[in-house]
This record gives sequence, structure tokens and C-alpha cells, in this order.
Amino acid sequence: MRWLTVLVVLVLAGSLAAPGIAQQKLKAGFIYVGPIGDYGWTHAHDFARKVAEKKLPWLETLYVEKVPEGQTESFIDKLIQQGARVIFTTSFGFMDGTLAAAKRYPNQIFAHASGFKRAPNVATYMADFYQVYYLNGLMAGAATKSGKIGYVGAFPIPEVKRHIGAFALGVRAVNPKATVHVRWIYEWFSPTAAKEATEALIAEGADVFGFTEDTPTVVQVAAKRGLPSFGHYSPMHKFAPKHMISGQLVHWDKIYVDFLSKVYAGKYTAENLANVDYWWLLAEGAAELGGDFGMPVNPEWKARLAAVKVGTPDLGRISVYDLVMKRLAQMSDPKVTFEPFTGPIKDRKGVLRVQSGKRMTVGELNSMEWAAPGVVGPWPKEP
Amino acid sequence: MLEWILTAIVRALAVSTPLLWASLGEIYAERSGVINLGVEGMMILGALSAFVVAHITGYPVAGLLAAAVAGGLAALLHAFVSVTLRANQYVSGLALTMLGLGLAGVLGRGWEGIPLLNTLPEISGLTYMGLALAVGLWLVLHHTRLGMVIRSTGESPAAADALGVNVHLVRYLCVVFGGVLAGVAGGFLSVAYRPSWTEGMTAGLGWIAIAITIFAGWDPLRAVAGAFLFGALFHLSFRLQAWVQPEALRMMPFAFTILVLAATAGRRRGQGAPEALGLPYAGGER
Repeated sequence: MRWLTVLVVLVLAGSLAAPGIAQQKLKAGFIYVGPIGDYGWTHAHDFARKVAEKKLPWLETLYVEKVPEGQTESFIDKLIQQGARVIFTTSFGFMDGTLAAAKRYPNQIFAHASGFKRAPNVATYMADFYQVYYLNGLMAGAATKSGKIGYVGAFPIPEVKRHIGAFALGVRAVNPKATVHVRWIYEWFSPTAAKEATEALIAEGADVFGFTEDTPTVVQVAAKRGLPSFGHYSPMHKFAPKHMISGQLVHWDKIYVDFLSKVYAGKYTAENLANVDYWWLLAEGAAELGGDFGMPVNPEWKARLAAVKVGTPDLGRISVYDLVMKRLAQMSDPKVTFEPFTGPIKDRKGVLRVQSGKRMTVGELNSMEWAAPGVVGPWPKEP
Repeated sequence: MLEWILTAIVRALAVSTPLLWASLGEIYAERSGVINLGVEGMMILGALSAFVVAHITGYPVAGLLAAAVAGGLAALLHAFVSVTLRANQYVSGLALTMLGLGLAGVLGRGWEGIPLLNTLPEISGLTYMGLALAVGLWLVLHHTRLGMVIRSTGESPAAADALGVNVHLVRYLCVVFGGVLAGVAGGFLSVAYRPSWTEGMTAGLGWIAIAITIFAGWDPLRAVAGAFLFGALFHLSFRLQAWVQPEALRMMPFAFTILVLAATAGRRRGQGAPEALGLPYAGGER
């Protein structure tokens, strides 16, 4: 009879273990603010979700798109009902809803992108572009003939102001007289507004373009007039293969893979996230320079950028192309031997904002409202 | 200064082109007594069809034809629901907008991030055709027997029916015609104005076209003024940012629309909405 006992125990153990094995799969839910086809912010998060799913065989994902910011909580409820153990909320406006839901679900793990509020079960994460913007600024300063660079900005919030600031610092490092002209559209996604804002800047003499909006509109409009531009967020090189110089590319997947792996390994739990804040840049691989993956500078522009020589305090006289590559290497180094926001930096009104030799902290960068020298145009909430 | 004004006029014309096409179509639909709130949905279906066909064939004009067909088919659905089934026109139109946005979003998934190589110039034939169309449609509406039939169908379908007009047929034709024009308006966006496909790229222009229809008092010629005015305000809201607060400018086109609607709300008979607008007509119940 002993073999029967063994069999019963085995069957029982098996039936108990089966759900245990099934639970080994980790389900993560993503809440998006835009459509996954916006070719900007949400598109990039969704791309990263798919990369993570491919890389992590134990991962299962769910997502909801076009979620109104006021309805964060009800969509979190929905995803949790569907079995999600980890919830990523990917818009600044989801912050308070995420915190409220996290209180109701103390055993679930949450991560909020671009926010600053954390809790034992809520981490924050951000892949930021300001370093890449600085590099683009260096190239924009070399490419402009009129000395007027156009920038189409989404909303005048610290994140966008920081990017324009870094861009302008880069421009001025190469071309001390050039200016960056800003137009705000007050939308993350509005191809028509981005189009008319670009046309307005062209009519006013701008001849190089950068932007924050979730479509390749600015790149296309500039290229139609034969003007160079920098892409944003997604690989937009193919929209203007001759005219796009470079741009910013994001790798949210680096953060997602890292975070989810640590959750899976039990390193991150619903109790220890209060101090988990990802602020990932070039060195961590969360940002990439270029208009397409693996192409930091459009080969069409290499010779033109190499022909412009500038003087620098630390590297002496150097071509803009070499300068970009050198700064890229310095910022990609784990030790980050160069930072764009290193003092002394005065704002455009002449007030000293960064002390000589000091680097701006993450907190300062996240709340930056002042305008860098060379920025022209309206700047709501300017101190 | 002259150059400043000229560039602003060119931009206003470009922005107004899709608005004009869509509102001219809506004017005819509403003149026949059928309100169609599905303009946004028909436009986005037109935008996707135009992009896909232009991309495959290499001919943007072929894309525009496809957009016309797509818009017309979508409108046919609305005509069937609201004219034949006599369902609530407002609900049917809203549903059409949601259906169009959703359907285009799903079908268009594979077309995002693809550039269109062969495009139409922006101030293209469509801009001039829109202006000519407005004059033609105004002439037809006010100076032909056909126009009288359409107007009487929208004002008093029972009387038109008594005179031997096929009310259902007139309404079907006007609604489908409106859809064709809305489809072309969407096609203009994806093959000329901003040549690429992005989900939701009509971004509310369909609703503005409906507002222009009301603003124009259901008159094709006044729609030209309405569309141009909105185009100019929209462009200037970015142009004037160097001098005026951007927050204030951003609201300008929309605040202006509301203002004009309020100012024209109490206008004389004959310039208001068609009497039977939004009312389903059951043939033979007179």
C-alpha cells in the first residue's frame, strides 16, 4: 500500500504545485495616456513593453491606451482584476491616481513614469533626454545659417524647459550668437498645431528645428523647405533622410527589463520601493543620440559638421563632429565626466542659476523653470 | 510687413482647405435635413484610405479618390441608419465618429512611421477646387431646381413629398455627398498637409467643420469665410506668440467660434437651421 500513498502524495503535490508553476509567470499592466500609434511617447513605451516581453520569457503583459488622466484608478482596478501584479502608469498626470490606487492595493507593485511621488509600493522612473538635447544643440549651432533655431514645444513644464535649456546651451557652445526661438502648442499630440507652429517659425526666419510633440510633423515640414531638423522620441530618420541631422531616441525597455527582473527575483517588493527612483540617461542606455537606432549622426551631415571648428575650454580647438562624439563618450561613461548643466550658468535674464563648478541635481533639473541664455519667446512661469 | 501678411494668408488657405471641404459637405447634408456628427470619423477614414492607396500606387490623386469612396461609404451607413431606419441622427453621427476613429486606428496600425514619398503640394488643386466648389454649390443651392428640392426637403419634407420629391433619395444623396467631401478633406491631411499616417491625426478638425457649418448659416459662400477665418486664427495663434501670451492665443480660434455662434444665434428666419434638421421623416405619414 505504500506505493499508493506515495502516488497520492505525488498527485496532491503535483496539483498544488501546478498553480504554483502557473504563478511563476509575472503579469504586468501598462497604462498609456495616448494611442500606441502616436509615434511618440506612448508608441515608445509600447515598443519597450514588447521588447521586455520578448526578453523575459516569464513575463506576460497587458495594456490600455488613451486613458484619460482622471480615470487612472478605474483602469488600474481593471488591470488588477485581470491579474496584473505590476502596474506601470506612463504619464505625469497619472501620478495622484497611481498613489491612491497603491494605497488601496498595498500588495501590488506600482511604478510611475516622470513623477516625483513615491510610496512603499510605488517606484518612479524616467528616461531623460537633456544630455542628448545638448548634443543636438551643438549640431544645431553649427548647422544654422540665419542664427535662428526654431523649437516647437509641447507644454511649458520643467521637463520641456530643461530640454530646451540644454539644447540652447549646446547651441551657444558652438555658436555664441545664435538664438533658439520657442513656440508652444499646449498639446502632446497635435500634428496640425505642430505644423502651423513650424510654419510660423519658418516665416520668421528659423532654419534649423527641434521639437517636443508626438509625431514627425516638424521634421517633415522642415524637410519640405529643405531645412534640417532633429527627431524626437521615435526613429524618424526615414521621414527626412537628407535633412534630419540627429535626434533623441528612448529605450524604456532598459528600465522595464531591469525593474521587472528585480521584481521577479524578489528584490523589489511591495514594501521597499519608497526610495526606488530610476533617473536613467545616456550612461544607463535609456537615451540614445540619433535619428535612427545605431546612427548617432546622419552620414549626410558628417562632413558638414566636421568642417566647422570651435574652441572649447577643455578640448581646445575641435570640429563640431568630433566635439559631439567626445561629449557623447564622456556622458555615456559610467562616471559621466561631462554634464551640460555645470556652472557657472546664468539664465537669460542674467541671474546666476548654477554656481561655478557645480552640477545641477536631479531635483533641480526636475523643477527647472528658468530659461537658458539664447532662448527667445514666451516662457510661462519664468522666475 | 507685406511678406508677413502674405505668408499668413497662404497658411490660412492651407489650414482652411480641409475645413472648407468638410463643411461644404455638411452644409448639403444638413440642408436636406440630416445632421451628421460623424464628420470627424469620415475624415479619419478618408485620411487613412488616402494614405494607404497613395503609398501603394504612388499616386496621391488615387489616394484622394479612395478617400472620397471611404467617406461616401461611411456616410452611406449614417444615411441608412438615420433615413431608412429613422434612428436618432445625433446618436448615429456620434457613433460614426467613434467607429471611424476606432476603425482607422486599428486598420492603420501597420502604417504608422512610414513616410509618404509622393505627395501633393499643400496649396494644391484642392484649395482652388474647394473655392470653386463653394461657388458652384451656392449657385446650385440657391438658383437651381435641384437646390430648391434639397432645401425644401430640409425645411418641410412633408410638403416636398406632396410635390412628388423622393425625400429619402434626396437625403441619401446629400448625406453621401457630404461624406465624399469629408473623406477628401481627410485625404488632404494625409497626402498633402501632413503627409503621413498617425492615429487620430484629424485631431478635432471635423468638429470645427461642423461649427463652421453653423457659423456659415448653412451657406456655402459664407463657409469660405468661416473656414478662412478659422485657418487664419489658428495659424496666427502661433505667429503672434512673440508678442501675446500663448495661453490666450491658444483659445482664440475656439473662443471666437463660440462668440460668433452666440452673436448669430438670434438671426432672422431663412438664415437659421433648416426647419426639419435632425428630424427623421417617415414617408406617407403626412
